[in-house]
Amino acid sequence: MSALSWSSPGFFYLLPLALLPWFIYNHSKTIAWSKLVPVDPLSRWINLLLKSLASGIIISLIMALAGPHIPEQTVERYGEGAEFVVLLDRSRSMDEIFARPPLNTLRTERTRFKSKRVVSTDYLLEFVEGRPDDRFGYVYFSTRSVEILPLTYNRDAILATIRAGGLGKGISKTNIVEALQLAGKMYEKEAYRGSRNVLLISDGGQILSSAEKRRLKTIYEHMNLNLYWIYLRSVRGMTLDESEQDSVLWEDLPERKLHTFFKTLAVPYQAYEAGSLEEYTAAIDEIDRQQYQRLLVAQRLPRESKADVFLWLALGGLLVLVASFWLSYAGVWQAYRKTA
Amino acid sequence: MILSYPRRILLTAIIMTLTLLLIIAALWLPPVPRDVKIMDSIFVLDITDSMNVEDAEMDGEKLRRLTWAKEFTRRTLLELPCGSHVGLAVFSEARSLILMNPIEICTNYNDLIQMLGQIAPTMAWARSSEVSKATYTAIRQAENIDPKPSIVFLTDGHESPPIHESLFPKFQGTPGEIKGVIVGIGGSDLLPIPKTNEQGEIEGFWDVNEVMHVDVYASTRGDMAERNAQKPRTEHLSSQKKSHLETLANRVGFDFVSSPKDPQKLVNRIRAASETREVTIDYDLYAWLSGLALLLVLLVFLPYRWIGLGDAN
Repeated sequence: MSALSWSSPGFFYLLPLALLPWFIYNHSKTIAWSKLVPVDPLSRWINLLLKSLASGIIISLIMALAGPHIPEQTVERYGEGAEFVVLLDRSRSMDEIFARPPLNTLRTERTRFKSKRVVSTDYLLEFVEGRPDDRFGYVYFSTRSVEILPLTYNRDAILATIRAGGLGKGISKTNIVEALQLAGKMYEKEAYRGSRNVLLISDGGQILSSAEKRRLKTIYEHMNLNLYWIYLRSVRGMTLDESEQDSVLWEDLPERKLHTFFKTLAVPYQAYEAGSLEEYTAAIDEIDRQQYQRLLVAQRLPRESKADVFLWLALGGLLVLVASFWLSYAGVWQAYRKTA
Repeated sequence: MILSYPRRILLTAIIMTLTLLLIIAALWLPPVPRDVKIMDSIFVLDITDSMNVEDAEMDGEKLRRLTWAKEFTRRTLLELPCGSHVGLAVFSEARSLILMNPIEICTNYNDLIQMLGQIAPTMAWARSSEVSKATYTAIRQAENIDPKPSIVFLTDGHESPPIHESLFPKFQGTPGEIKGVIVGIGGSDLLPIPKTNEQGEIEGFWDVNEVMHVDVYASTRGDMAERNAQKPRTEHLSSQKKSHLETLANRVGFDFVSSPKDPQKLVNRIRAASETREVTIDYDLYAWLSGLALLLVLLVFLPYRWIGLGDAN
């Protein structure tokens, strides 16, 4: 429960007006000599009470006008989910079509091709939409990596960022190492809440130097980050693991080297080769299944107006005051009728 | 006007009853729907080298143009009515890169500001600055967003490499289809441009011999060498290129504002330039009702004797 805030505290300058009832003497009827009026402690008390009520009403109304509210706040609760840093490859190669048939295939059917970026955007959106309790951060990387959205629970923000990632063209080349390091740095800044994941979405590999390998190994093993690589293959049929049907062109590809390195890390690592759209969905679903652990979730409670409380106070006071006015009017009216 | 005592009591009782009714209304009257004009916009911030020149004025201080752009964007966001959608983009090289599609401003203010804070010269992926082409790409990408946002392009207008006035990059779209405002940043004096390295860190200034002083086309024409030599060699210096930005704004059907001071005025310009949508919001009348109630109560308790309205005794 956080403290009450005021949206227009300027109204507090009106508070001295609450003294007004104490300056007014309502019995301006003609009295010969005030000392003739009998001392009546009960009516004095009633008078005091009514004036206090009037002051109270004025104060309550001013307070209600000042816009009392409990500001938007986040409460923490336990949920099921995980934290994800999405590393999206924005290099030019992501503009190419997804899983094109190898060049040596005969063109038999005309299929509509989508770029790798559009494909990854579509599925990322589906992934994020399906995981309400997760916390997401977003990094786009090319030659350089940029953390554009720090880890947040705000679904609108992450979805809008992912959508923006599907627009336009790629920037330049790919530097996966820097992106992977940046993801580690993003988690370093945060308190531990639950399962930490790095979701790398890229179509290319990179040959790492041994220094880079050591650095990544330290970061990932030390911070125990789960690594997922959604590999968007350019050519239909190419796999990260070597297989029987390998084409000579696929030997020693940087992707394969990177994959081999990731496998040596002592952290949970999984590569998903999104070959076709069906496989991509399967890959995402698999991560979905694995990453349901207890996680500290922050939930935003919207701002809540508390003006009603003050209005109720004013209403209570007014009921008494109005009753007393009508009562005294009835009394005075009767008295005047008698004398008339 | 002097009222007799019973009349005065009656009047007071009636006013207080009215007040009571007002407060009851404030408590129980449902919020009334009200139409608010909102718009979607994408703020494109120039992050090229020339934006590091410290000549943008805000609150009497000279700021880096990019710092100014970020701060002014933040202030403008605060002035936008709730329900408006805002997206963010950066411009480097020859194009605009949209970082976030437009999202509702009030509920997402925090994340928008977080992202705005991340925008830095280090994000630039190349060292050139082709403002007009970047404007075109921003427009082209805005066309793919539904509903189509307006574009608020914050730049100093410095083109590097320079363009030839008769060889202005062609705008393929329809002017005015995507609406927008170009916000010019920077002073009118030519100042040296801080130079960033590959990592985007500032290292000294651009030297006169490090930049192109004539456009790419003219520089390849041997027969124009003489004319080229007569051109002023000032492209390593930067100021706000107002006339260039005006020409550019005309070409794409945008509005142009040079160094705005008041964010509210910029919001008005954006609103005037944009296609607004009407959104119905629930408007709670409680403030008006309780304000009126307060006035009535005060009316009853005003010390009339002191201000000479009541009778003297």
